Order: sequence, then structure tokens, then C-alpha cells
Amino acid sequence: MSAGGGTLRPTAAIAALTVREALRRKLVTAFLGITVALVVLSAWGFDRLSHSRSLSPGELAASLPQALVLFMFMFSFVVALSASTISSPAISAEIESGVLQSLVTRPLHRAQILLGKWLGLAAVLAAYAAAVCALEFAVVDAVSGFTPPDPAGAFGYLLAEGLVLLTVGLVLSTRLSALATGVVAVALFGAAWLAGVVGALGADFHVAALREVDSVARYVLPTDGLWHGTIYALEPRTIVANAIGHASPFYASSPPSWPYLVWCGVWVCAALVGALVLFERREL
Amino acid sequence: MSLESWAELPLPGDDPAATGPAPGGPADAPALPAAVPASPAAGAPAPSPSAAGTAPSSSPAIHTVELAKRYRRTVALRGLSMTVRRGEVFGFLGPNGAGKTTTVKLLLGLARPTGGEALVLGAPAGDVETRRRIGYLPELFRYQHWLTAREVLTLHARLLQLPRRERFAEDALTTVGLATRADDKVASFSKGMQQRLGLAVALLGEPDLVVLDEPTSALDPVGRHEVRGIVRDLRQRGTTVFLNTHLLEEAEQVCDRVTVIDHGRAVATGTLEELLGARASVRLRVRGLPDGWWHAFASLGTWSAEGGWLRLVGAPPDAVPELVAAVVARGGRVEAVVPEHQTLEDRFLELLGAR
Repeated sequence: MSAGGGTLRPTAAIAALTVREALRRKLVTAFLGITVALVVLSAWGFDRLSHSRSLSPGELAASLPQALVLFMFMFSFVVALSASTISSPAISAEIESGVLQSLVTRPLHRAQILLGKWLGLAAVLAAYAAAVCALEFAVVDAVSGFTPPDPAGAFGYLLAEGLVLLTVGLVLSTRLSALATGVVAVALFGAAWLAGVVGALGADFHVAALREVDSVARYVLPTDGLWHGTIYALEPRTIVANAIGHASPFYASSPPSWPYLVWCGVWVCAALVGALVLFERREL
Repeated sequence: MSLESWAELPLPGDDPAATGPAPGGPADAPALPAAVPASPAAGAPAPSPSAAGTAPSSSPAIHTVELAKRYRRTVALRGLSMTVRRGEVFGFLGPNGAGKTTTVKLLLGLARPTGGEALVLGAPAGDVETRRRIGYLPELFRYQHWLTAREVLTLHARLLQLPRRERFAEDALTTVGLATRADDKVASFSKGMQQRLGLAVALLGEPDLVVLDEPTSALDPVGRHEVRGIVRDLRQRGTTVFLNTHLLEEAEQVCDRVTVIDHGRAVATGTLEELLGARASVRLRVRGLPDGWWHAFASLGTWSAEGGWLRLVGAPPDAVPELVAAVVARGGRVEAVVPEHQTLEDRFLELLGAR
């Protein structure tokens, strides 16, 4: 057997186990159920909006993308919640229950367990984010005729945002209980979003210190920075050109830069390394 | 000498002269005839630098030297030295909080020692590749409740990279009596059935060393009897079994040798015969000899008079017929000779009482 195969097989086994757990424990089913309900709600909303007689064609063209951004913000929250929910028990709860002890005494490194869990959870999250985007975009298109300019990009940024939070959950899960991990991860997500709102206010009122809050927060926890990538992918370029949503937390004037995306990748890798160090040091 | 050097050393011999209480034990620890030395004899062969990696089959299954573990202010293990030979069923006994489970965790790499060293199958404790040859039933046996028993075993077979995973899983389930429940979810299992499943997981792939941490704690008497049968089968197959238990009856029935630990130290090690024989006693009723006649036989053991009886403690079993013959030769009349066998529980309590 090749060394590579020997390394990858246990990792793949743990990843497959993680996916199977999500399916068997009906996590995916539960989140899909919520999603379908929200998509039906959005279908009704878009139908009302597109048939409103009080809106001019221009106003309608501007309001449809903004309504989609609002709905996708809600979905981004569901994705974030999903990411923290599925990652928070990944390590700590299994240590507390004793399930992990039987795995770590097998011939595999803890890094393989951690990476396998991350990959499995990432696959579940990717499938969920893809389902969310596909359903919502298809329904909005069918009801109102509006198609976002970059649906694949919107999916990619939404997934990346979820992966960041998933990684946060996994890091915290190596030390904190499942409950504490879930609470802290969601609170961090909220704080990062709030920092984005503060930054937008700072830009609107020309307060440099407030803008700095957003600038720093985007690097410390890149969820809001990536969420702005989702927004940008949903906005028609006419809105961007006219800066219709200027200084709003639901408006992005530009997509995340490549260096920033590279930073996000480095951030996730560094957090995973941190999780591994914490997991390796943890006595079971 | 570092612990790794032990990997290629021969097993401690059966020479009683070479044995004694494990270093690191208390000064007043009982000196058992076959207790295993915890440090190699002078002039032992120099170890190979790769000793730990090669894990020769001649190395002890488990060998620890001054193994210690401290959790902040709590000392869980304070210098445990012991050797478990290949192919034996080794009982690890001690009261609650003695450090038994801590020792198991250190041996399996679940926790790191704060002192001393441990070799398992010739490799440092926790070595990833060596785990392929170790089966482990944790004290807290919990498995993925959303999987079936067969799926749990197939998962572990996959992690062990075994060929014919289904076959191995089937065999292990049959061994522990779960073949008919193979496709039931673990969530539907009773505690005893989950423990059987844990035993099946530990037996998967025919490991060289099976570490069983309280393997019958959730089983009924029938289940306990079956597990003892499985342990005996493992011994027949040449598998080393490290049995961590507080059930003395269990240890008495299946173990070749035992170590008793208390307060994180080994207080006695040896075969059951050695452990109990050292304190065996015989009661005699003798007439026709003057009082104090037994002083002539003081070297045989400790004498005491109880009513019309004399008790001799610590005499070798083969010395009793000779003693009787000597009494008769001196004109005495031996009315009764009653051997007294100490139970492991008595001995256990005695050892712990001396702490």
C-alpha cells in the first residue's frame, strides 16, 4: 500500500462516517425542511413584490436584487447556524460520550480524525449551501424573472463563509462543550456581521475609526468579508454602478480581492492547524 | 538505560533469585517470589536504536518503568513499574482511584505520562502503527448509536485496513454472541450488549494485545462466564490480555499473573499461587510433645498458638509433610493438619490494609 493511500484511507473513512452521521441523525433533513419552508415564504414575497402596482419598472428592478440579498442574508444565517451546529459536537461531545476513545486508539493520527471530520462536515455544508442557492435562485427566477448575475459566485462565497464558521466550531470543539462551542461560534458570527454594519456606518458618516473596526474584523474573522462577496455576486452591475445601496450592510461596491480570498484560505488552514494542536494536546 | 532498550531484551527469566519487588514500589511492598524486575540486569545487551520501531516479538507485551501521571495537584500514578509477558492473561487489580484506568490511558496514548516510560509491544506507548496490533475495550464503552453493530465493526475494520472486512466483522460478532443482532442499531442495544459489541471491536483483526478495561461491568452472570471463556480462548491463541478489573473472582479465574496497585503504585505482582502461597497457612493439632516444640521449626514460617491449635504461616507447601514426619519421629501424635487457603480477596484486602 502506498504511504499516501495509507494516510488518506483513514481520513476518508472518518469523512464518510461524518457524512453518514449527518444523514442518519436527520440533520440534513431538518435543515432542508427549514430551507424549503423559507424558500416557499420567499416565493410568496417575490410574487407579491413583482406584481406590486406601486413600484415603477425601475424601482422593481432595483428592489428585486435587494430583496434577494435580504433573503440570502437569512439563508447565510441558516448556513452559519448549520455550520456551528454540526461542528460544535464534533470533538468535545464525542470525548464526553466516549465514542472518540475507541477511534483514537486505532492506527490513525488525530490529524486524520480532525481532517476527516472537517472534510465530512464541509461536504455536508457544501451540499446544503448548493441546495439553498439552487432552490432560492430557481424560485425567484420562476416567480419574478430575476436571475442574479453570478449565482455560482454567490454559492461559493456563501459556502466559504460557512466553512470559516465550521472551522471556528471545530477549533472551539477541541476544548469547549458542544453547547458552549455553538453559542460562542454564533456570537462570533454575529459580532463579525455587526462589525460590518459599524464599518458601513463609518463609511456613510466618514468616521475613520468605525471603518477601521470593519477592516480589522474582516481579517480576524472573515465571515462578513465573504458575505459581502455573496452580496456582490447577487447585485446587478447597474446597482453597483449607481451605488444605490451605498453604506448599507446589504450592499457591496466590490467583490473581495484575491489577496483577501488567499487570506481566507490561509485563515482556515491556520485555524485547522490550531485545532489540531489543541486536539493533540487534549488528554482523553 | 532508557526504556527503549528493553524492547530487545529477553523476558525476565523464571529464576526466583532474579526477582523481587518492583523498584518504585513502596519500601515495604511484599517481596513476591516471581515478581518481575523493573530494571534490567547489569551487563544486559546494548539496545538497538531502532528497538522501539521494530517491536520484536520477544519484547514484553507491556513494560513500564516508574510510570507517573499527575493531574495538576492530583497524583494518579506515582512510579508504576511492571512487565506483562507475551501470551499471558495479566490482571491489573486495585481499588477505585488506585490509578488503573489512568495506566490504561497512558499505555494506549490517550494521556501523556508526567514521568517514567512505557513500552507496549516493544514500541513507545501510543505509537500509531503499534495500535494496529492492539484491541481495546474502554471502561466507558460507547459506539456510534446511529450505526448498526455490523457497521461499527466494519468501520473499525476499515480503520485497521483489514482485508475482507465483512468476514472479520461477522466473526467478531459471532464470538461475542451478537450475530443475530448484527443489523440492529446500537441505539437499541442494552448496556450489556453494547459491552459485548465493545469486546467484538477489541477482538477485531486478531490483535497481539487486548486491553480490557472492566470488560464485564455491565454483563449478567452468563455474560461474564462467556467473556471469561473468550479470554481463555485468547490465551490459547497466544494473545496477551491485559485485564483491568476490580472483580477479584474474575482475576482469580482467568489471570496467569496479577499486579495489585494502590495509590498509584504496584504493591504486589506475581502469579496467583505466588501471591496467595506466600501467605498460605496450615493449622496443626499435635499431642505428645512438650510445649514450645515448634521453636525447633521456627525457620519454616511464623508460628502461633490458638487454643489447642498451632498455626504455621508462610511455610512452603512441600514442607508440611516433612514437618509432620519430623513431629512423628519425635514421638508426637499429629491429630489434624488443616491447610488454609487465603482467597485473593483476603490477600487483596491485606495488601491494601498495609498501605
